[in-house]
Amino acid sequence: MISTIAYGLTLGGILYIISIGLSLTFGTMRIVNFAHALVYTVGAYVLVAVMPMLGGWFAPAAIFAVLGVIPLAWVIERFVVRSLYGESIDYAIIATYAVLLIGVDAIKWIWGATPIPLSDPINASVGFFGVDLPVYRLLIIGLSLLVALGMELFFNKTIIGKIVVAGLEDKEATLSLGINVAKYFSIVFVLGSCLAALGGVLYAPITTVHPYMGFQVLLLSFAVVLVGGLGSIRGTLISAFALGMVMSVTGRIWGPASEAMVFFVMAIVLVFKPVEV
Amino acid sequence: MSANKQSAARRTGFWPKLARFDLALIAAAFVLLAWMINIQRTTDFIIFCIFVLAFDLLYGYLGRLSFGHMLYLGVGAYAAALTAEHLTGNPLVAIAVALAAGALVGVLLAPIIMRTTGACFALINLAFNQLGFFLALIALSHWTGGEDGMAAFFSPVLGVDFANPAVVFGFCLLCLLGSVLLVKRLTGSPFGILLRSIKEDETRSRFLGYNTARYKRVAFVLSTTLSALAGSLSILNYTFVTPSFIDPTRSVEVIFAVLIGGAGSIYGALVGGVGYMLISNYLPNYIQRWEMFLGIALLILVFRFREGVWGYLTRYIRKRGVEVAQ
Repeated sequence: MISTIAYGLTLGGILYIISIGLSLTFGTMRIVNFAHALVYTVGAYVLVAVMPMLGGWFAPAAIFAVLGVIPLAWVIERFVVRSLYGESIDYAIIATYAVLLIGVDAIKWIWGATPIPLSDPINASVGFFGVDLPVYRLLIIGLSLLVALGMELFFNKTIIGKIVVAGLEDKEATLSLGINVAKYFSIVFVLGSCLAALGGVLYAPITTVHPYMGFQVLLLSFAVVLVGGLGSIRGTLISAFALGMVMSVTGRIWGPASEAMVFFVMAIVLVFKPVEV
Repeated sequence: MSANKQSAARRTGFWPKLARFDLALIAAAFVLLAWMINIQRTTDFIIFCIFVLAFDLLYGYLGRLSFGHMLYLGVGAYAAALTAEHLTGNPLVAIAVALAAGALVGVLLAPIIMRTTGACFALINLAFNQLGFFLALIALSHWTGGEDGMAAFFSPVLGVDFANPAVVFGFCLLCLLGSVLLVKRLTGSPFGILLRSIKEDETRSRFLGYNTARYKRVAFVLSTTLSALAGSLSILNYTFVTPSFIDPTRSVEVIFAVLIGGAGSIYGALVGGVGYMLISNYLPNYIQRWEMFLGIALLILVFRFREGVWGYLTRYIRKRGVEVAQ
């Protein structure tokens, strides 16, 4: 029971960290960014590549991986996403999916297609009401809550965050104040990409690192974003943890159904609250 | 020049006259292709063209990009295979069951899916596709054979043996011609014009008094049924079905095909379908990084060449035709 809850919270935390970038990109630029999955995968691969160089230390390699995807995110934003800004949403979906295809093939080219397993970087557990909980999972839950807090502070306290929120609410009005909204949206894009890489880095020791790891997570993140409300920061937080719990509880009853259950929940939510795009 | 003159020129030109024999030309082109390459492979091309046509009915005419159309193909494939295994070896019955299954899935999902547009439409299709993939691969693996898939064997009908590749080829070609005729009639009718007006501005179409929700649902069910037909024909051609028939990661193939040919045109769908199949069948022999090629080609299509091959050709011919008339 307790381990099911802990597992659900871990999953929810990871889903939140990954989805928040997608949700913000959608809310600000109206672009469904399939390339998000590429940044997530690249983050995990950079971690794998850098960790031996840093003496097998997880934390510095993780920080390097999160910051290392910034050039990639910038290139995607500058050359693909920005050109499709304001165009039909279909072209953005196709173009970012194309970027994902190219990137995944490049990963296979560089690192090969065989999955790379990673060991638990902390490898300790604490007893909690007679249940052993891995410290690493608790760390993920804590970190995701920290990210959520950081997001709250960023959007409510910093000037950049306030401008982005204003752009989310009413782009025309923000533009007419003489603010270059697109520039701030780019910052949000890169920030979201860094979080995607963080998600990849954190999830890598739990699953394995392989070229298609992004596809599965991307689908789940889309479900989180759609259930939480597109571009809603708090909605994403709630729906990520709710869907994480759904997955964990379903997984307890019948393992293979956990992902399917997420889409089932999403379909039900969309029946009662269709999203107008 | 006036618009009147332009349309007159178009009607009396060489190309419009040729367009009257389009079905015969399509048939001749596929027979030629079958003679040049392999007959079974050409059958595969034909089947894919039906699928592209079904997809284009939603994307090209209604402006709804589905990112999970493999589901409807897979429903047809599995319905036909299950019929062959448990009910009867008659291929015509299997195809009828597949059509019914495709229509049923369409009718059940249309009220949910057709309420959405744009990104939401693409993603909800993808989600349902993922659900279907899960059902075929794991939940119903007792019936579908899971990862190994299942084989389907068909018995002869009235002395016609569907194990003969030439028979399957002819039958699939007939199905394609029927689909082309159907889609042509539909898109040329007021129904088709209404679909295009919904694509441009749905609110306005609704304001004119049309129950747009009903027309959208009909278009969706037609698309799923036609996709299911393509799926059931694949079973006829391959005699087996695997989860790859329903794999959502393959949804991009049909999008690519429509973009190559040019969206919103029947001939464009055929050109794109054959073009994609030629590329995907032969290019991987020469290029190892096939997915990278696919991605780069998609980017070029989106950024530089949105009208596609057929769109470009028709524009070129039209320009020439008007010049000749002057």
